[in-house]
Amino acid sequence: MYTQIYNLIFKRNSTFVATVFASTFLFQVGLDETVTSWYEARNKGKLWSDLKPKILAGFESEEDDE
Amino acid sequence: MISPIRSSALRSLNNNSKRLFSSNLPLLKSTYDSPDFKHYLNSSKGANNKSKDFTYFMVGSYGLLGAAAAKSTVEAFLSTMSASADVLAMAKVEVKLNAIPLGKNVVVKWQGKPVFIRHRTSHEIDEANDIDISTLRDPQNDSDRVKNPEWLIMLGICTHLGCVPIGEAGDFGGWFCPCHGSHYDISGRIRKGPAPLNLEIPQYEFADEETLVVG
Repeated sequence: MYTQIYNLIFKRNSTFVATVFASTFLFQVGLDETVTSWYEARNKGKLWSDLKPKILAGFESEEDDE
Repeated sequence: MISPIRSSALRSLNNNSKRLFSSNLPLLKSTYDSPDFKHYLNSSKGANNKSKDFTYFMVGSYGLLGAAAAKSTVEAFLSTMSASADVLAMAKVEVKLNAIPLGKNVVVKWQGKPVFIRHRTSHEIDEANDIDISTLRDPQNDSDRVKNPEWLIMLGICTHLGCVPIGEAGDFGGWFCPCHGSHYDISGRIRKGPAPLNLEIPQYEFADEETLVVG
C-alpha cells in the first residue's frame, strides 16, 4: 500500500507537484466552506439574510402608514 | 617511504584479484575490521515505503499551505486594484424609458459625462438607414450603433474637442456642435465639420422593456 502510494505520487516530481496543487485547490474550497458555515452557524439570527425579510416588511408597513 | 600499514594495505590490494571500483577502494584499503552494526539497525526500514511516504507527505503539506498562502496573498493584492463596490454602484445609471416621449431627447449624466438618449420616430429610423455609408467620414451602419432602433444612446461629447453638441439642430436633423460647427445626423454620425469620428456609443443594456442601464 505504501509502495503503491509512493510509486503513484511521490516518485515523480511532476505527479508530486500536481498533487500538491490539486489538493491546495480542494483545501481552499473546503476551508472556505467550513469557515463560512461555522461563521453563519455562530451568528445565526444576526445575518443580513436573516434580517432582510423582517426589515423589508417593516419598511413597507411604514410606507403604508404615511 | 611506505609506512607499514599502508604497505600491508597495498599488499592486500595486490592479493585481491577482483576488479576494483573507486567506491569499494576505501574498504579494501582499510586493514581494520569495521564493527558490524546490523544488530542495531532498524530491520523494518526499507521493508515498505511507510517512512518515505510520511516524509514526502509532510513536505507536500508544507507545499500545500505555502501555495494556498501565496494564492491568497496574490488575490488580495489583485483585489485592491479592482474597483470597490461603491465605485461600481456609481458607475451605472438607470433610466426609465417610458418617461421619454417619441421624438424627444433626454440628457442624463453618467460618470460625469452627458449621455444622449433619443426616442426616434420610425421616420427618423428610416432616415438613418437611408444613407450610403461609403460616403461617410466614419462609415458605420445605423444597426451597428443601436441595440433597439427606437432608442439611440450615445455619449454627448463632440469627437472634435469635447464640447457638448446641441440636440435637434444642424443640417442633418441630429446634433450640432456650436464650438466648431460639427454636424451629426440622426444616428450620431459625423456628416459635416471638423470632428473626425461619430459620437461614441457607451455600453448599455435594456434591463427590461422600460429600463435602460448605461454602464
